[in-house]
Amino acid sequence: MRALIIDDARVMRRIVATTLHDLGFETAQAADGREALDLLEAGERFDLACVDWNMPVMDGLEFVQAVRANRDWRDLTLMMVTTESEQGQIVRALAAGAHEYLIKPFTPDALMAKLDMLGLLPTKELA
Amino acid sequence: MIDTHETLALSVVPIAQDLFTAMIDGEPGLLTPEPATLPVVDPVHAWVDIVGPAHYRALVVTGRATADRLARALLQMADDEDVSLEDVQDALGEVANVVGGNLKGMLPEGSSLTLPVVDVVGPTATRPADHEQPLLWRGDPLVISLWTPKNGEEL
Amino acid sequence: MTVSTQSFSYVSDLVRKHSAIQLTPGKEYLVESRLGPLAREKGLQGPDAVESYVQRYVRGGSAVEVVRVVEAMTTNETSWFRDSSPFTALRRVILPAVAGTDLNVWSAACSTGQEPYSIAMVLREENVARYRILATDINAQVVARARTGRYSQLEVNRGLPAPMLVRNFTRVGAEWEVDAALRGSISFQQHNLLDPPPGTGQFDVVFLRNVLIYFDMPTKQSILARLRRRVRPGGFLVLGAAETTVGVDPSWDRVDVTQGSIYRLRGGSA
Repeated sequence: MRALIIDDARVMRRIVATTLHDLGFETAQAADGREALDLLEAGERFDLACVDWNMPVMDGLEFVQAVRANRDWRDLTLMMVTTESEQGQIVRALAAGAHEYLIKPFTPDALMAKLDMLGLLPTKELA
Repeated sequence: MIDTHETLALSVVPIAQDLFTAMIDGEPGLLTPEPATLPVVDPVHAWVDIVGPAHYRALVVTGRATADRLARALLQMADDEDVSLEDVQDALGEVANVVGGNLKGMLPEGSSLTLPVVDVVGPTATRPADHEQPLLWRGDPLVISLWTPKNGEEL
Repeated sequence: MTVSTQSFSYVSDLVRKHSAIQLTPGKEYLVESRLGPLAREKGLQGPDAVESYVQRYVRGGSAVEVVRVVEAMTTNETSWFRDSSPFTALRRVILPAVAGTDLNVWSAACSTGQEPYSIAMVLREENVARYRILATDINAQVVARARTGRYSQLEVNRGLPAPMLVRNFTRVGAEWEVDAALRGSISFQQHNLLDPPPGTGQFDVVFLRNVLIYFDMPTKQSILARLRRRVRPGGFLVLGAAETTVGVDPSWDRVDVTQGSIYRLRGGSA
C-alpha cells in the first residue's frame, strides 16, 4: 500500500507517516495540494491520500476536486485530515469526493479505525 | 441564552486538553488550567485568526524550552534529541491551528482559518486579549489567549 | 521509543493466551500506547519506560500485573463501527432472516451508547421501520451519559464513518448529538447481567460483545442460560470477536459469517 500525506505542517505529516509506516504503508509527502497533484501528474500512484484542508497554494478541497475530475485517479481513496470541523464543511468535502474525514486532534487508534473502515488495513486489527 | 463568546472561551481548555491527550502526551491529565499566569521565559508566540463575518484570534504562548519539548513530544523524539527551529515553529503553529480550527467549528458556518504564524514577537493588536487561559503542561507555563469580536472594533 | 522484539512477542503471547486476540508484528506502538500509563504508574519515565516495565514487572511478574496488561491491551474503547463485522452481519445475515417482524433488539453492556446508536443507524439505513432497542449497562453513570446521545469530537473520530456522522448527528457547541429520532428509538436502562434480562417480550437479536471474556465458566454459563430464555427460537446472539458459545452453552449454532462471532438459538424455523 502507498499513501500520500498532504499537509503544510511537517510535524503533522510526520505523525501521520509514523502511524502509516507502522501499518506497513509506504509513504510520500507533499506540502500543499499543488505539490501533491504534481506527484500524481508525474505518474506516481497511491492507494490513499491523507489531505489537510487549509494549506497555501492549493487547499485540500481544491485538491479533492482536481483528483475527482480526472478518471485516471478514480481508485485513489481520499481522506481529509483537518481541523475544519463544521458539519457543513464535512458535507462539502464528502460531496466533492472525499471518502472519509478525520478531525484533528486524533489518536493513532482513530486513524487506524478510519483505515479499517476504508478496507485499507493490511492485517486484521486487534479488536 | 448562551453567551457564545463565553462558551467559546470555556471550550479552550477542553480543546487543548483533547489535543495534548491525543497527539502529544498519549494520556490525559498532563495539561491543566492554572489560576494565574506564570512568567514565560523566552516566549514563542503562535496564532491563527478566524476571519469571515467576525474576526477572532487564538494565540498560544510558551517558553522556547517548552516549545522544544512540545515539538519532541509531538514528533515522538527522545528527550535529548536535537529538534530544529523549523520543527519547533511547525509544532507550536499546529497547536494554534488545531485550537483555532476547533473553536471555529463551534461558530456559525462561513468563517475561515488563516494559516498559523509563529514568532518570538506576538501579534499586533489594538487591545489585550478578551480571554486569557493560563495552563501548566508538565510543570511549564503555557497560555492560550482568545480575542472575540467587539462592536466591530479591529483586533 | 518502541519495545524490543522480545518484549513485544512476550506481550503478544500473553494477550493471545489470555484473550485469543492476535497482536500481529507492527503493532509495537499499540503496546507502547496501551502500556505507557501502567509503566508511568510504576514511576518509569522516558522512551524506555514500557520496555523496562515489561522487563521488570510483567516477565515472571505477578498474576495481577499480567491481568492488567491483558486488559489494557484488549479493552476495546467503545467505538461505533470500529469492528465492522457485527454490523455487516446485522445487514447481510440477521435482517434478512428476521424480515417482517417487529424487531426487538437488546444491546447488553452498551457502555456509553455507541453500540445501540450504531445499531439504530444501520436499521435506519436499511429502512427497518418497526423496531425497538433496549440498551443496558451495569454502570448507572454510563447509562445516563449514553442516554444524552452527546459525544466529543474525539469520540466521533473513532470508528464512526463520516457519512454516518453528518447524516445522524448535529454539531452542538464542541460536541455532536445523535438526532432525536434515533435517541427516541432506544430505551436505556441500568442492568446487571447476573440478573434476569430486562424489558419485555422475546428478543430477536442480542448484542453481548466483549463481556463474557471477563467471567469464569460457571458465570458465562448462567448468563447465557438466563439470556436464552428471553431469546426467541431462531433469534441471534452477537458476541465479541474473541468470544464463543462453543463449550459454554450447547443451545446455539454458529452462523457462518466470514468474520464475526454470530450465533443462533436452536429451535427456530430455519
